[in-house]
Amino acid sequence: MADWSMEELLEWDKKICSLGEGLKLDWYPIEYEICDYKEMMGHMAYTGLPTHYRHWSYGKSFDRIQTEYNLGMSGLPYEMIINSNPSISYLMTENPMPTHILTMAHCVGHSDFFKNNRMFAETGADTVIDRFKSAGKRVKKYMEDPNIGIDKVENILDSCHTIKYQVPRTPGLKRRNHKQLKKYYKDLIKKDDSGRFNGFNINKIPLEPDTNLLAFISEHNRYLEEWERDLINIVEQESLYFIPQACTKIMNEGWACMIHEKIVNSLGIPDNYFLSFIRLHNQVVRPHLGRINPYHLGFKIFKYIEEKQGFDECLRVRETHNDETFIKTYLNEELCKELNLFTYSFNNREGYNKVIDVSGKESWQRVRDDLIKSIGLNSIPVVIVKELKKDGTLILQHEHDGRDLELSEANKVFEHINRLWQGDVRFTTIIEDETWEF
Amino acid sequence: MSVFKEHKTIADRASSDRSRHRHKIEKAIKESIKDVVAEESIIGQSGKKKIRIPVKGIKEHRFVYGMNEKNKQVGSAQGKEVKEGQRIGHRRRARAQEGEGNKPGNKPGEEMYEIEMSLEELAGYLFSDLNLPELEKKNFKFTTQEKMKRKGKRPYGIRPRLSKKETIKQKIRRKKAAIKAGSYDPESGERFSFHESDLRYKHIAPVTKENTAAVVFFVMDVSGSMTKSKKFLARSFFFLLYQFLNHKYSSIDVVFVSHTADAHEVNEEEFFTQVPNGGTMVSTGLNKVEEIIDKRYHPNNWNIYTFYCGDGDNWSIDNKDTLAAFRRLKEINQTMCYTEIGKLYSYKEYSLFAGSQEKRLWDWTKLVEGKNFKRVRLEESKDIWPAFKKLFGGKS
Repeated sequence: MADWSMEELLEWDKKICSLGEGLKLDWYPIEYEICDYKEMMGHMAYTGLPTHYRHWSYGKSFDRIQTEYNLGMSGLPYEMIINSNPSISYLMTENPMPTHILTMAHCVGHSDFFKNNRMFAETGADTVIDRFKSAGKRVKKYMEDPNIGIDKVENILDSCHTIKYQVPRTPGLKRRNHKQLKKYYKDLIKKDDSGRFNGFNINKIPLEPDTNLLAFISEHNRYLEEWERDLINIVEQESLYFIPQACTKIMNEGWACMIHEKIVNSLGIPDNYFLSFIRLHNQVVRPHLGRINPYHLGFKIFKYIEEKQGFDECLRVRETHNDETFIKTYLNEELCKELNLFTYSFNNREGYNKVIDVSGKESWQRVRDDLIKSIGLNSIPVVIVKELKKDGTLILQHEHDGRDLELSEANKVFEHINRLWQGDVRFTTIIEDETWEF
Repeated sequence: MSVFKEHKTIADRASSDRSRHRHKIEKAIKESIKDVVAEESIIGQSGKKKIRIPVKGIKEHRFVYGMNEKNKQVGSAQGKEVKEGQRIGHRRRARAQEGEGNKPGNKPGEEMYEIEMSLEELAGYLFSDLNLPELEKKNFKFTTQEKMKRKGKRPYGIRPRLSKKETIKQKIRRKKAAIKAGSYDPESGERFSFHESDLRYKHIAPVTKENTAAVVFFVMDVSGSMTKSKKFLARSFFFLLYQFLNHKYSSIDVVFVSHTADAHEVNEEEFFTQVPNGGTMVSTGLNKVEEIIDKRYHPNNWNIYTFYCGDGDNWSIDNKDTLAAFRRLKEINQTMCYTEIGKLYSYKEYSLFAGSQEKRLWDWTKLVEGKNFKRVRLEESKDIWPAFKKLFGGKS
C-alpha cells in the first residue's frame, strides 16, 4: 500500500500552488485523479482522454503498454495531463510521495502552458471533455445500431485514422468551406483592380489547395451517409485538438521540467525526498543517445534563456512561441555544440545509419534546420487536395520537400483514401526525382 | 488549490477494444498460416518444433517518409564524440521498395506480430478452419474390428464361464433374506445349500471397436524428371497431409516409399533428398506398398492412407499394372490419392513424344476415380491448400 496519505497530498499541493503563483504562473485548476497502474495504462492507451471513443487500435496500444510494462521494458509515465479546464491529471497510487510532488509541480507547468501558449487558444479547453464524451457516445450508438454495426464503424475509423495527421498545421485557423471561400474570393476579385486575379478560375474546387483531407472528404463526398460523415468529423476534430500539442512538445515538456525544478527546489522538502527527486529529475531530462529527448532539449533551451535573459523572458517565450520558432530563435551554436547534436540518415547501400553533420562552426545551422524538419508534424508528409475534377476524380499531391515517401505505406493509405472517397482518386508524389502516380 | 479524486475502479475501459484487437489478430493468424504453409521453412520439421509466424494486417498505416539518405534524423550525443561519416547503430537491411521483392519481414520498422507456435498447434489452427465434424462423417470412417468383451453376468451359460464369486454372492444374499424372514435359523447347524437360481455366468459379447491407428504411405517418383522444385511441392503437400492425419488419429505410422523403375522403403531424409536416377514404373511403388501392408499393416487393424506423388510420367507398358494396383489399393485404403505435379501437357505436346494413342497417367487414373480414390494436381505452392481442401474438405 502507498506510503502516503491524502492529507499529505493536499498539504504539498497547497505549497506547490502558492509557489506557482509566486512564479507568476497562471494555470487552469487541476483535478487529480488517483488511480492504479492498470487504470493508468488505460488512460495512456486512450490518449489520456477519459471520454474517448472506442476503437480496437486503443486496445492494441493498451496491450503493448501492458506487455512493455510487465517485461520491464518501460515504466509508466509519472505525469499525464489533459489540456482541459479544469486540467485532468492522473496520479498513480503505487508511486511514492516524492514522485507525486514532482508530478504535481510538473502538471502546474503544463497546465500553465496550455492556458497561456497562443497555439492553444482555439482548442476549447472548457468544453473538450464534453465534446469527446458526446463523440464517444455517438460512436457507441453507431456501433450498436443494427443497421450499421461495429464492422462498418471500424472500417470508416480505420480509414480515417490513416490520414488523421493530414490536417492543417497552423492551430487556430478556422476552416472555411467551399461556399465561404468562394464568397471570399468573389469579394476579393470585386474589390481588386490590380488584375492579379486575371485567369483565376472561380469554379475550381478547392479554390485553395486543401491540407485537411478529412474535412475535404466530409464536405465533398456526396455518397457519405450522415453517420459516416460524423465519424470523419470526429476524427478530424480530435486531430485538430491535438495539433497544438504536437507543435509544442519540446517547449511544453521543457517548460514543465523547468517549473517543477524551480518549485521543488524552493519547496523545502525533506532530505530523503530530495534524493529521490534528483534521481527522478535526472531520469526525465537526461539526453537519449542518438535521439532527441524533448524534455531534455526543451529544458536546456529554457534554462539557457533564463540564464541569459531572465525568467520573465521565459514567461514571454512560453506564451508566444512554438517548437519551430523556439528552436530557430534560441538554439544557437553554443547550445548545439553543448548538446552535441548531429544528423544522420540511413544509407541504403551500406545498410547503416551514417552521421551526416555534427555541430561544428559551419554545420550547426544545418543541424538546427534538419532538427526543425524532423520535429512534431514536420516529420509527417504533407498531402494536399489539388483539385476535385468535374467527373468526381480527386487529385491529391504530396508536397515533396526532398524526402521521399515510404511507398509500401503510402500504397496502403491510398487504398484507405479510396475507400473513404468512394470514387476515383489520383495521387502523385516524387520518388527518386521522378513523378510517381498511384 | 487542486482537487483530488479517488474514484472507485470502474470496469477495465480497454477490455472490449482489447478483445476486438485480439479477434483481429486471430483472424490475421489464420490468414497468415495459409501463406506459411506454402513456405519452405516449416516443411519436414518435427511436430514439436516451434516456428514463428509473421502476422500482418493489423498495422495502422500512415504517410511516412522512407528510410533513405535524404530523410535525416537528429540525435544528441552529449559527452560522446561523433564524427561526420561515422556509422552508427547496427547494420540493417533497407526497406524493400515496391516492386523489388515484397517478402514479409524484411522491412525494419514494419509492425509485425510474431506468433510462436509448434507445428502441431499450427496444424490444429489450420484444421479448425476446415469443417471437421462434417469431415468426420464423410471421410473418417475408421476401420472396425470385432472383439469379444466381457459384458456383465447372466443366470445361464456354459459351465466353464461359471462365476464362483458372483454365485456365492447370490447365495449369501438369499441366506440373509431367509434369516430375516425367519425361514432359516443360522444356529440350527443346518447347511444352507446352493440353489439353481444362484448360479451366475460370465457373459461375453462381441463388440466392434474403432481402430484409431493409421498408417500413411507416401509414395514418390524420384526419377530424373522429378525436379527439385517438384519435390518441394510434394514435400509441402505431404507435410500437410501428415499433420492432418496426425491430428485425427491417436497414433500414426509413416512409411516412405520411393520408386524409379523399382521401389524401396526409405527414411524421410532419403525420401526427399535422394539423387534421382533411372526410369519410371509407378506400379513398382504401389506394389511395394501392397507388400508392406501385407507384412505389417493389416487393413482390419489399420486405417491406411496412400498418397502417391509424381509428375505423370510412366513407361507406357506399365500403365496397365499401375491401374490394377491403384484399384487394389483403393479397396483397402481409407483414401488413396494420386497427386500429379506440374502442368497438364496439352494433348498435342505429348502426342509428339508418345504417339497420339498414348494417354498419360492423369487420364488413366480418371478411370479409377471414386469415393476412395482422388486425383489432385499441384502446379505451384498456392495450389497446396485448395488441393488439400479438395481431399478432405468435401468442397474445394
